[in-house]
Amino acid sequence: MYARRAAQLLQELSSCEEGQLPPYNGDKFDQVIRECEEHSRQFQSLIRDKDIETKNEDHYGSFIHHLSIIRNKRCLMAYMYKRAEVIQSNRWNVGRVLPREIQDKLNFSEQEYFKDYCGVIDSYMKDLDLDLTVDMVPPKDPYIRVRVLSEIGEVSLGDHAVSLTKDSFHFLRRTDAEPFISQGLMEEFVE
Amino acid sequence: MPGYYDISDILMEDEAVSVAFHVGANGVGLLDPGTETNSVEKGAKIDLPFWLAHELCRRRAVSITIPSCFGQKMKKDVQADAACVDLGTRYPYFYEFGCKLFPLVGDKSIGLFLRHTFANRYKEMLSKSHTASLNAIPKFVLRLSKEEYQLFEAARSSMVEFKKWRVRDLGLMKTTIVGHKRKTDLH
Repeated sequence: MYARRAAQLLQELSSCEEGQLPPYNGDKFDQVIRECEEHSRQFQSLIRDKDIETKNEDHYGSFIHHLSIIRNKRCLMAYMYKRAEVIQSNRWNVGRVLPREIQDKLNFSEQEYFKDYCGVIDSYMKDLDLDLTVDMVPPKDPYIRVRVLSEIGEVSLGDHAVSLTKDSFHFLRRTDAEPFISQGLMEEFVE
Repeated sequence: MPGYYDISDILMEDEAVSVAFHVGANGVGLLDPGTETNSVEKGAKIDLPFWLAHELCRRRAVSITIPSCFGQKMKKDVQADAACVDLGTRYPYFYEFGCKLFPLVGDKSIGLFLRHTFANRYKEMLSKSHTASLNAIPKFVLRLSKEEYQLFEAARSSMVEFKKWRVRDLGLMKTTIVGHKRKTDLH
């Protein structure tokens, strides 16, 4: 009660590294909502048939319950907001398809949010006719050397097909290699 | 100023402060573990989270006692050696909490005390953060409050960027030295 559980939710979130999320704690979230309902019930019973203006004990008791509800609301809102921010940053850092480990940490509405966010970005980029998600760091060189980490197979890049077998080295255009690098399937080969 | 969604501001407001109630309050017996009825008596002294104490104090329902982190013992510790005081484990939100507490409590010396503490700790922190390596976490970092830690990280990352810049590969072609061959080695 009195927003302690909501603070625990936020502790869980803040103890994760920057850009990472803990799994969505639906149980605690629901418990906080039930606590709010309990505060609301107590509030109703204290102000029933009472004159709002008199500052007696019931008034202060009801005020404390009211503050607790506001506090719980703030904690839950901050929880959702922070998670939404991280989900948005995942689109830019990881790509259109989230790896399994990240998807498992999101609840259903967060996965829907991610899909909708990708849709919004895609329609914007289509209007601009520009892919904004490549070259997040300005490149020094349009071509880079890459080493393939996991088996990808035949991929057609531009006008020719390249066979990306495990542990093979290639000299590719940066824009072609970037989606594979962000998914962890390739790494840049630095001498 | 911290925003509505700022998580560290929310967690900071969860710090407990000791308050004395000027009024009674019904229906909130859970706040006071010592009470038998479901209410808090006038004059009771209990620990409340800061967000609750702050609002109640504004409406003059309670008065807040200065917590130990700004008390005499702490002042003596800071006087002795500010840089050794362990804010990281004991009071990670030392500065933010002090700034918020200061207008509610009648004690004007808190503001000066915060500034004095920060100024004394800053000197050592500044020199150590610029020389700290990226991998090892120096022991003194554990003694920093959250705000000091952000400054420390900013200094450390800026030093890392600077070092990277210094040894950057400009992509220039290395030319061979043409001209008279000299006896001394120029490399």
